[in-house]
Amino acid sequence: MADSPTFHAVVFRVGDLICAAPAGIVREILPPLPATRIPGVAGAVEGLVNLRGVLLTVIDAHRLLDRPRRDADEGPIVVLDVAGRQCGLLVGEVKDFVELPPAAVAPRGQLPGVDPRIVQAVGNHGGEHFVILDIEALLAPMLGS
Amino acid sequence: MDHAGYAALFLTESREHLRACNQALLAWEQDPAAVEPVDALFRAIHTLKGMAATMGHDAIARVAHSAENLLDALRTGRVSVTAGLLQLLFGAVDQLANGVEAAGAGTVPASDDSELLVALDRAADGGAVGAATAEYAVHQILPAGRAVSVAIRADAPMRGGRAMLALRRAESLGTVTALRPAAAAFEREEFDGRFTFRLESRASDDEVVAAIVSAGDVASVTFEDAVPERAEPAARGRQIRVDLRRLDAMMKQVGELVVARNRLVDLALRRSDPELEATAERIARLVGGLQSEVIAARMTPVGEVFDRFPRLVRDLGRDLGKQVRFEMEGEDIELDRAVLDEIGDPLLHLIRNAMDHGLEAPEDRLAAGKPAQGRLLLSASRERNSVAIRVSDDGRGIDRAAILAKARREGVIEAAADTLSDDQLLRVLARPGFSTARAVSGVSGRGVGVDVVATRVRALGGTLAIQTVEGKGTTFVVHVPLTLAIVRALLTSIGSERYAVPLAYVAETVEFDARSVTAVRDREALIVRDRAIPTVHLRHLVSLADETTPRHRPSVILEIGERRAALVVDALLGQQDIVVEPFDAPRGMPSFFGGATILADGAPALILDAAALL
Repeated sequence: MADSPTFHAVVFRVGDLICAAPAGIVREILPPLPATRIPGVAGAVEGLVNLRGVLLTVIDAHRLLDRPRRDADEGPIVVLDVAGRQCGLLVGEVKDFVELPPAAVAPRGQLPGVDPRIVQAVGNHGGEHFVILDIEALLAPMLGS
Repeated sequence: MDHAGYAALFLTESREHLRACNQALLAWEQDPAAVEPVDALFRAIHTLKGMAATMGHDAIARVAHSAENLLDALRTGRVSVTAGLLQLLFGAVDQLANGVEAAGAGTVPASDDSELLVALDRAADGGAVGAATAEYAVHQILPAGRAVSVAIRADAPMRGGRAMLALRRAESLGTVTALRPAAAAFEREEFDGRFTFRLESRASDDEVVAAIVSAGDVASVTFEDAVPERAEPAARGRQIRVDLRRLDAMMKQVGELVVARNRLVDLALRRSDPELEATAERIARLVGGLQSEVIAARMTPVGEVFDRFPRLVRDLGRDLGKQVRFEMEGEDIELDRAVLDEIGDPLLHLIRNAMDHGLEAPEDRLAAGKPAQGRLLLSASRERNSVAIRVSDDGRGIDRAAILAKARREGVIEAAADTLSDDQLLRVLARPGFSTARAVSGVSGRGVGVDVVATRVRALGGTLAIQTVEGKGTTFVVHVPLTLAIVRALLTSIGSERYAVPLAYVAETVEFDARSVTAVRDREALIVRDRAIPTVHLRHLVSLADETTPRHRPSVILEIGERRAALVVDALLGQQDIVVEPFDAPRGMPSFFGGATILADGAPALILDAAALL
């Protein structure tokens, strides 16, 4: 991404953490949907939702990133392409779709209080810093092999 | 049509002709004086030759031409049939098959046909067939004995029971084989009281009639000529070929239509609008009809897969020096094409196993007081919403003690165990790697590849079971669902969660009463008609907290072969057709979930896999 002129990202909030996913892997944003629990799987898996007749596994970003969910958050779902498969990420609120000039992206940046392993880069939009998540590193371990 | 289209047709049609060739050769071998097999063979090879020449496959046409010449010489009596000649023709059919498959793959046949051509041409001129092939003796593959046909009186109460009784009487006189329909069909609604079988017995015809009639309500007993009729597809002209992918696409569409219908009916019921309800009802019925038609269009007789086995068994018998009578039953039982395509290899494995390790060499059989000729039975029968396919031999059986000792040594079972049930035996045999160990093959040899078979069958949503008696034989039972795409399921609930249980393995539902349970080997069990059935509490399985539950709760009796379990749930919500939906299961999903579906109200639900629960 460092060599591309601008970086597109979908910015969302998980609890009190502002983060983003590269726009290229975001398929769509869904309103909150009822999920069917899958017993026996990792705690961050919210369950299965019916996306227009197709089953989608949804993972709760709050539990994944260990950020308490705000009571008022309804939980929209960001549908992502992860290693050739689709999965949903339940977030607190989708904030924005941003275009960042290369200068606003720090590829090896870090933010205090955020696990460096999940950080792909740190973005800066209008003076606000946010974590661009390493989606694959985050979600691939949750999905089957 | 373009060339690729013709090439694909050439491949499928040639395969059919080759299958007909093998059938004809087997029938001919059985009865060297018969005329029909020769004619059938001639027709098939002639057609193949014409097609191959048109398509430019000269090598195939050449072999077909020489084989045709030999057949012509045989037909006109210029040359008389010998075992060696038949073997030569088998070889020619194999070479044709090589050529056809190579043509399909766009390559050149791997094997050279020059020697074969010389041998065929020399034989057609009345020359001797090479010594290597002349020594073989004709094997008996088709069943022997008298063909008996029995009809139970149309007005008899309990026709099925009478038929069974009549069959038992016949069995008391000798060996009954080639039973049609299979005995399992006697209890079915559509059973008309007529059945046929072959009886090998010293009893006279009169004695046989007397014995069968003594069962009561027998309308007639007749004896037929020895040649079993081969059902030719009579309505050939009224069939068309449809690309399987098109049927798959139709099935997928219908599957989605079923889900949409379920949703529509659900919505209509909440609106309390009689007109909407009536329309939804009508659409529901139409979709139901369409669904069964599409499933029916995909249904194919298992005979299509079975057909290749007589030749295989014959060849294996020759290679292994074993005498075997191979019988098939229930070839007309139908399965979804997709299931059928997957079942051939596992069956092939089981048949090879039976030939290789199950059946003994003739001298060993004689020494054990058995007839030199072994028996191998491949049968299919309908059981509820599934089909059971059995591969049964009367060979040496499996040495339980040896397997037990080995399983104990490897820590596969508790050291204290001193017996192995059939189920445990299978679990031990089906452990990957276990079977290949030398100690097992040294003792009984059985087990090679059982893990492969079990895995393939499981992948189809089916199950594998084994019954074996040392010295008497072994039966492998493969249960597969009729169709993969749409499953009739029982919806159950635990708290607010719903789970679907495919009906194929549901024997019945009974009431669970906390006071009437017992304990069998420290496991809770439910007593149903004097049988203790171990319970599985769905609530525990899906790790929901215990709540104060009513003492009486429904439980679903799951049954696969002889294995049973009582699945205790909070409530039964009725039956529904569900479509098994693909989804990426998250890591760690328990194996007792066989998939997921979308229910009538649009909510996803998980499907329980009975096989994994038992």
